[in-house]
Amino acid sequence: MSAPLLAIEDLHVAMGPQEILHGVQLAVPQGSIVAVLGSNGVGKTTLMRAVSGIYRARRGSISFDGQPITNLPAHRIVNLGLLQAPEGRQIFSNMSVRENLVLGGGDVGLGELDRVLGMFPVLGERLRQNAGSLSGGEQQMLCIARALMRRPTLLLLDEPSLGLAPKIVAQIFDLVERIRAEGVSILLVEQNARAALRIADHAAVMEDGRILLSGPAAQLRDDPRIAEAYLGGHVH
Amino acid sequence: MIDPYYLQQLAIGLSLGMTYALMAIGFTLIFGVLNVVNFAHGEIYTLGAFAGLVLISAVAPPIVAVIFGALAVGALAGFSLERLAFKPFRRFTDEASLKSRAMRESTLLSSLAVSIVVREALEILFGSEMRSLPFDYLINTPVRIGPVILVTGDFIIFGVAAAMLIGLQYLLTRTRIGLAIRAVSNNPLGAKYVGIDTDRTIITTFVVGSMMGAAAGILMGLYYGAIFPAMGFVPGIKAFVAMVMGGLSSIPGAVVCALILGVAESMATTFVSSGWSDMVAYAFLILTLIFFPNGLFGARRERV
Ligand SMILES: Nc1ncnc2c1ncn2[C@@H]1O[C@H](COP(=O)(O)OP(=O)(O)OP(=O)(O)O)[C@@H](O)[C@H]1O
Ligand SMILES: [Mg+2]
Repeated sequence: MSAPLLAIEDLHVAMGPQEILHGVQLAVPQGSIVAVLGSNGVGKTTLMRAVSGIYRARRGSISFDGQPITNLPAHRIVNLGLLQAPEGRQIFSNMSVRENLVLGGGDVGLGELDRVLGMFPVLGERLRQNAGSLSGGEQQMLCIARALMRRPTLLLLDEPSLGLAPKIVAQIFDLVERIRAEGVSILLVEQNARAALRIADHAAVMEDGRILLSGPAAQLRDDPRIAEAYLGGHVH
Repeated sequence: MIDPYYLQQLAIGLSLGMTYALMAIGFTLIFGVLNVVNFAHGEIYTLGAFAGLVLISAVAPPIVAVIFGALAVGALAGFSLERLAFKPFRRFTDEASLKSRAMRESTLLSSLAVSIVVREALEILFGSEMRSLPFDYLINTPVRIGPVILVTGDFIIFGVAAAMLIGLQYLLTRTRIGLAIRAVSNNPLGAKYVGIDTDRTIITTFVVGSMMGAAAGILMGLYYGAIFPAMGFVPGIKAFVAMVMGGLSSIPGAVVCALILGVAESMATTFVSSGWSDMVAYAFLILTLIFFPNGLFGARRERV
């Protein structure tokens, strides 16, 4: 097998004196969807932010497309084609939908605009509207669309289904599969384990700043520990 | 028929307001992006004026070159100010830190420190008394329009302020760097996710804002013919008041309020001696804070 697109080795991340990630090991093979599951506060967002260069690694390494990106500034990581639709969406709420997409395009420009709007027709109808006035689902779509404007090779999605109605969640998961079908590899953080395991190729479960177990998604779906902890009482 | 006296005062007030506006634009731009008050903005104004003075006494270039010289010094001063007084306090470890309270308080003091050092340094170098500019550089040739008498400087100031405002609006809405400035202002963490170099964007903001401050300084020097190390203090306060009245982070709001302030001050000299006209600004500030805590134009807090 060829080297993975993203390889995280023994990653330690600390906030001040407090260490939050204690040696995370994770790989995203080219062309795959990898899901990271875990309950609140285990460090999923911290992991995603470290990969995007928002947080610094105290120890360990991250490599993307064969080159080390550990502690590279965030904007340089974006320029390499590693994009993230972050937790909390982080869209520019005072700016128009169009301006958000233009900013998303950055150095790449607006070449992707038509294709992205084809995937997210709701945004096309609201280009001049303030991003802050979009509904939650629309904001999530804008957040993903904005990242796609850069023509990423790897897309990080941090809880894209958070706070959305089941119908919109299904729509978003469909979109994730379509994005992968266009050749974008995906690292997906989710608490909606059932939906995530359905579309993922590989999955990892995080607990307390570590990867507890990982493997092919199909295998994790049938793992009794997963079923009990993450699929149990949930009806999605 | 309006008494020509009031027309005259109105014209003077608008001209005065325009210079406050020039200051307020840079002030508000920096506030909008970092959410911090840049106490050294008044000294940038002073530096712009002294840059002009030095140029004029050394090489006596044409007036356009004097203004460009002041702009260059303003750009350099803005860059250095950001590196010295703001950057050291910006540790981006979490989303809150860029606009955090700690950052706000420490940069309040550090920019105040820079402003004191600059003012004292200028006093050591040039002395604290007023220096006058050569007469043929001054922009105060009278121009008569009907019953009102203006000077050439009024038109120059108006023209420069309008050009800067339009130019800035173009920059902020039509150019990549302007969009980046607004993006950092709106959501600094979000800006990182779209690949904006936030550090460079902040420097650019300081450079642009400081160039405007320096331009205001040299224009006012040429207008009044006098330059001294403490000259930036009062305009700095006026710009601050205009910014607060305009709603803190609205540039058009600050410009309108700067004009209101200028007109109110010039009208006030009808009733009180001109030494007291500065009180108008303080009164406006207090009234705004009490009755319009979100600025005169309501709660719409659109940044930059
Ligand atoms: N900037 C920070 N400063 C201090 N502690 C932090 C910071 N960011 C995260 N933490 C802590 O790190 C731990 C992991 O947080 P993180 O946001 O990564 O969790 P998460 O797995 O994404 O949770 P959730 O599912 O609720 O989003 C938490 O205990 C959190 O309080
Ligand atoms: Mg999270």
